[in-house]
Amino acid sequence: MTRGDSLSRRLLVWLLLPLLVLGSLMLLQAWFEARRTADRAFDRLLEAASLAIAEQVQWQDDRLWLDLPPAALEMLATDAEERVFYSLIDRRGRMITGNAELPGDQREAVSDDDTLLYRDVTWQGLSVRQGVRRTRLEDWQLREPFEVRVAHSREGRDALAAELWRANLAMILAMAALAIVALLLAIRTALAPLTRLRRAIRSRDPRTLAPLELRLPRELAELRDTVNELLARMRRVRANQERFIGDASHQLRTPLAGLSARAELALRQDDPARWREALVAMQATSSRTARLAMQLLSLTRLANPEYRPERAPLSLNAIAREAVREHWTACHRAGVDLGVATAAADVEILGIDWQLAEALGNLIDNARRYGARHVTIRVGEQPPSLSIEDDGPGIPAARRTLMLRPFHRDRDDLEGSGLGLAIVDGIARTHGARLAMSAGPGGVGLRVTLRFPGDSP
Amino acid sequence: MSPRRHSLTPSLRRAGRRLLAWLLAFPLALPFTFSLTLSLAIPAVHAAESLRYPTTFDGDAAAALVIHGALDLPQVRPLLDAFHRDHPDVALHYRNLTTLALHERFLKAPAEADVLISSAMPWQYRLANDGQAQPLDTPAARRWPAWARWRSELFAVTFEPIVMVVNEAIIERFGEVRSHADLLALLERQSESLRGRVVTYDPAISGAGYTYAIEESRLSPRYWELVAALGEAEAALVGTTGEMLEGLIEGRYLVGYNLLGSYARERLANHPRLKIVVPEDYALVTQRLALVPRLAPHPETARRFLDYLIGERGQEVLARETPLGAIHPSLEGPGTAASLRRQRGDALRPITLGPGLLATLDDLKREALLTRWRREFMRRRRH
Repeated sequence: MTRGDSLSRRLLVWLLLPLLVLGSLMLLQAWFEARRTADRAFDRLLEAASLAIAEQVQWQDDRLWLDLPPAALEMLATDAEERVFYSLIDRRGRMITGNAELPGDQREAVSDDDTLLYRDVTWQGLSVRQGVRRTRLEDWQLREPFEVRVAHSREGRDALAAELWRANLAMILAMAALAIVALLLAIRTALAPLTRLRRAIRSRDPRTLAPLELRLPRELAELRDTVNELLARMRRVRANQERFIGDASHQLRTPLAGLSARAELALRQDDPARWREALVAMQATSSRTARLAMQLLSLTRLANPEYRPERAPLSLNAIAREAVREHWTACHRAGVDLGVATAAADVEILGIDWQLAEALGNLIDNARRYGARHVTIRVGEQPPSLSIEDDGPGIPAARRTLMLRPFHRDRDDLEGSGLGLAIVDGIARTHGARLAMSAGPGGVGLRVTLRFPGDSP
Repeated sequence: MSPRRHSLTPSLRRAGRRLLAWLLAFPLALPFTFSLTLSLAIPAVHAAESLRYPTTFDGDAAAALVIHGALDLPQVRPLLDAFHRDHPDVALHYRNLTTLALHERFLKAPAEADVLISSAMPWQYRLANDGQAQPLDTPAARRWPAWARWRSELFAVTFEPIVMVVNEAIIERFGEVRSHADLLALLERQSESLRGRVVTYDPAISGAGYTYAIEESRLSPRYWELVAALGEAEAALVGTTGEMLEGLIEGRYLVGYNLLGSYARERLANHPRLKIVVPEDYALVTQRLALVPRLAPHPETARRFLDYLIGERGQEVLARETPLGAIHPSLEGPGTAASLRRQRGDALRPITLGPGLLATLDDLKREALLTRWRREFMRRRRH
C-alpha cells in the first residue's frame, strides 16, 4: 500500500500539504497575536507609570517641577527585571529631568487632550518599548503642555508572548495530531472497498470467467462493470475458440480417416495398378489436408490480437495484376476466364502484401470452386477497394454473414475447407477494411469487396 | 538651598556630573581607615591606593584582572589574597577609589576596569540599567538570592546595616534606646539636654545620607517627626560616618544616628562606652554592588572573580575576615546576613535593588526631598 505510487499516499500528501501550510499560517498568526496581546498587557504599565509621573508634575518657581514617585519606575519593572527609562520634556522639547534622553514620537496626537502613544524604539542599542504621554498642566491661568516619556526593555513582553504562543502551539499541535489521525482513518475507510475488490479478484478461481458480484461505491461499481464486460467478452471469445478447435479437429479427422481407410483398402489388394490409384487419391487428400492445416494456421494467426505485422505502402493495381499472374494458369486449366480491371490512377494503401495476395487467392479459388465462368478482379479508387466479381450461383443475401464463419460451407463441398471467407474477413480486419458481399454485375453471381479506410495512405 | 540652584539642565550628562559633584561626599569609599586617620579629608590619597598581585605564571597562561573598588585595602586584602591563592595565574590590580572617582573614571574610560565594586547603589544600578554591565551566568549566580541581584548583571556582595551609636551615659540616664521610636521619644523629651550632642548625616552634602533619607521617608511618614525632633535638638549634620565616629569617640556627641554598621563595628571595638544599636523596629541595610562592565578588557577573569566573590569561598572570607557581612545563604555565624536576620528578623530593610533607585538620582526629586527635609528639620527649631 505504501510502495511506489499509491492512492493512499497521494491522498495523504494532497491532504497533508494544505494542512501543513494551514498549520504554519496558524502558528505564525498565533505568534503575532501573542506579541500583540503581550504588548497590550504591558502597555498598561507604561500607561500607569506615565500617568503616575504626570500627576506629580507641577508648576513651581516658573518652571516644571517633578517629585518623581519611585513607585512609578518600580511598576515598569516586572518579574522579568526590565530596564527602565523615563524623561520629562517641556513644551520646547527640552529635557527637564530623567535618566535617558528618550526620542520623541513624531506622530500626530488624535486629540489635544491627554494622549498616549506607544512604539518600539532602539535606545543606545537597547530595544525598548516606549510610551509618550502628551498632556498639560491646567492651572488657573496657566496651560503648560509637557511630555512624559517612559520606556522599558522587552524581556517581560517577550516572556509573556512566548508563553502565550507556547500555549497556542500546544493546542495547534494537538489539533494537527487529531486531524492527521482523522485523515488516516478517513483514507483507510474510503479505500476499503478497493481492498475488498482486490481481495475478491485475487480469491477467484483463475479459470472462471463468471462476473464479479460485489457491492461497491459508485466509482468502483463502474470499474466492476467494466471488468464484468471484459469477462463477458472473454467468455464469448473462449466459446468461439472452443467451437473452432472442435470444428478444426473434426475437419482434420475426416480426411485423415479417409486416408487411413483408403490405405487399408489398398493394402488388401495385390494389384500394383490399384495401389497406384489409391496413392493418387491419397496424395490428393493429403495435399487438401495440408492446405486445410495451412489455412487453419493462418486463421489462427489472424485471430490473434497480439499479432500486429508491419504495414507498408502498397499499390492495389500491382497486387491485382500479381494475383492474376499467379492464378491465371490454374483458372485457364479449369476453363475459368480470369480478368483484371485496374484503376486509372495508381491506388496506394498501407497493408501487408502477402495477406492481400492470400485473400485474393482465396476469393478466386472460391469463385472457381463454386462454378463461375468469369472472374474479374476490380480495383476501386474512391474509397480504395479490391473486388472479386464472378458469375457463379452467388449467395442469397440472408446467408452471406454466415459464410464468414469458419467451417461454414454453402454446399456440401468436399474440396473446400470452409475457411476461405473467414480468412478473408480476418485479413480485412487486420487492414481495418470492411468486407462487403453483394450480387455481381447484372444481379448475377457474387461480388466480394474489401473497402480500405481513407483514400490514400 | 533653593530649588533654583539647579536651573534647567540642558543635558542629562551635565545633570549627572552635577550630581556626581554633589555626591563627592559619599562616605562609603572609606576615606577613613586606621592607617589614614590623619588625612581624613583628603580622599585623593586613596585614589592613589592600589594593590598588585603579580602572576606566578609566565607567558600566555597569565591572565590580567583590573578591579576598581570602593573598598578600603584592609578590608579588600583578605578577599584578594584568597583569590590570588586560588588563581595564581591572574595578575591582579586593585585600585581603591572613592565612589565618585570610581564612577567618573568609568564614564570616562568604560573599558578600563574588569570589575566595579561600589557602595553607591543608585549609580551602580543606573550603569546596569543603561546596559553597561554584562551578565554572569554561573551556578553561583543562579543560586544568588533574587533580592540581592538584578538580572544577572548586578550583584550585592555585602550586607551592612545602618545603625545608631549611643553613649552608655545616655542609657544610664534615660534608659535603653533600641529603636527609632525610642530615639524619637528620647529626642522629644530630652531635647534640652541633648542639644548639639546628636549627630547624623546631612543629606544635602552626603549621598549616603540622602539615600537613607529617601528610603526612610518611603518607609514611614513618622520619619519626618524624627527629622523635626533632630532639628529641635539642633543635631549636628556631617558628611561621613567617619566624622560621626570621631565626634562620638571624642565625646562631642552622645548619640549618632544612621552610621554605617560595618565601620562602626570595626572602629568602636575598643570603645565599650559606645554602644552600637541595630534598631529593632526597622534597620536599613546597604549593600556593595559588583558588576562586570560590558567593555571589560578581561571579561573571562572578571567573571571568574565575580563568581568567586558571590561563591561560598569569597563570601566566607568576607564573613570571617572583614566587617562587611556576607550574603551567601549557606553561610551561618557571625558576620553573615543570616545571623543578623536571626537577631533582627523582619526589621531589616535591605535597600531594594530596583528601579526605585533611579528615582534617587533624579535631580528634581533630590531638590524636592531636600527642601522638605530642611523644612522639617527647621520646623521646631527655636529662632
